[in-house]
Amino acid sequence: MTQAYRILVVDDEPDLEPLILQRMRRQIRSNQYEFVFAQNGVEALEKLSADPTIDMGLSDINMPKMDGLTLLQQLPDVDPNLRAVIISAYGDMDNIRTAMNRGAFDFVTKPIDFDDLKITITRTLEHLAEWREALSSRDQLVALQNELSIASQLQQSILPKKPPVSNQFEVSANMEPARNVGGDFYDYFNLEDQIGLVVADVSDKGIPASMFMMSSRTALKGAAIGVREPHMVLSEINNQLQQDNPTFMFVTLIYALFNPDSGSLTYSIAGHDPPMLVSADGAVTELPLTKGVALGIAPDVVYTQESVTLAPGDTVVLYTDGVTEAMNADNQQFGLERLTEVFEGKPPENAQAANEAVFAHVRNFAGDAPQSDDITCLTLRRP
Amino acid sequence: MEFSHDRSGDTLVVNASGRVDGSNASDFLESLQGLFDPGDQQIILDLGGLEYISSAGLRVLLMAAQNLDKQNKSFSICSLTESVGDVFRISGFDQIISVFPSVEAAKQG
Repeated sequence: MTQAYRILVVDDEPDLEPLILQRMRRQIRSNQYEFVFAQNGVEALEKLSADPTIDMGLSDINMPKMDGLTLLQQLPDVDPNLRAVIISAYGDMDNIRTAMNRGAFDFVTKPIDFDDLKITITRTLEHLAEWREALSSRDQLVALQNELSIASQLQQSILPKKPPVSNQFEVSANMEPARNVGGDFYDYFNLEDQIGLVVADVSDKGIPASMFMMSSRTALKGAAIGVREPHMVLSEINNQLQQDNPTFMFVTLIYALFNPDSGSLTYSIAGHDPPMLVSADGAVTELPLTKGVALGIAPDVVYTQESVTLAPGDTVVLYTDGVTEAMNADNQQFGLERLTEVFEGKPPENAQAANEAVFAHVRNFAGDAPQSDDITCLTLRRP
Repeated sequence: MEFSHDRSGDTLVVNASGRVDGSNASDFLESLQGLFDPGDQQIILDLGGLEYISSAGLRVLLMAAQNLDKQNKSFSICSLTESVGDVFRISGFDQIISVFPSVEAAKQG
């Protein structure tokens, strides 16, 4: 029998305990999770010191005696490998930012959406499992090969599993990791009435790059909740990532905000290939590049943004350079022209078909040539 | 990946050709920095023969640039092919590292 993960919930509101026990009863009954409760930071630290088997913490911010942000600061002294998820008020950017800087793994917003919370817990625990494996491997000084395979599992563990379902839009995303190299990721999340979409490429490989990827993802999600304009989101996370980055790791990405009611898509680009628009009539255009620099290398970069309105039947394709730079046996690149040809005169029937078409064409082109970089593509279609 | 270099006075011009990607980026940095003399004040990297540079390659260029910047030395790159130029433009690195059309233009700063 596998052991249940132990989760410490820290909140001064008495309602949360019965609610969690009720909403998580299946996971508790099937011995997936065990919950421990504390009313504030001081009590949480006491419980953690007394019980080293706790795997993750889920903490509110505002609490008497010791608040969640102070608790986060104290956690590494008790257990450096504990993963903490913060519960914050919606749009409380300052606290989310502070929590992230103090090492929070992720956050959920109030009022708590339990489906979202379940996903966040699963993702955190998956990540924790990979992280523990990485640590134990490091202890044994295993070969680089193994470190890379762990890094690739860490990378997989941060990808969202299920795209949002709506009759107003379709989203499909896929990332095909290269055997060794690569640091691509994608993300999508609901922001009240809009949906945030991300495609990104971290400059390096290995466990440090996975950690950088993780910070980028969480910083972006945090900033996206606090700041509405995509270009402001990029400035915000650029400054966060650039603060403590002695090895000049960087990430290129597109962040786009889609409004399902109006069909408007606003995007800002940090050193990444611009998106491609496939109109309902099969015309293909590359959307304009915005001004900006890859994230994490220079302070106070100015980012700009662009908007486009999707008509019914229009599809937007976000991708990483793993698509356009995929090589065949003759060392030719797949290139933008071939990517355009995938859709020219052939508007996709839905977002998933569009996504599959990209991968099928790249695979067909590359043949047996080894894949040298991750290949990521996210498609958004307005039905 | 191959290097050649040419020094006149306190200016060092390094020609790099081939491909720089994740598999050789750290070797690239090491070889490049191995060519620097303490007396070099201006370092120009001629990338005219470079076929491809990946993000790992950009990162080591940035490390070299920042190291030189700390020593108050000038660092620039020049003669980019169209595809390598696109990589610099799209990534925004042309706003971080000085890019010139030719060695001559780079020498004049």
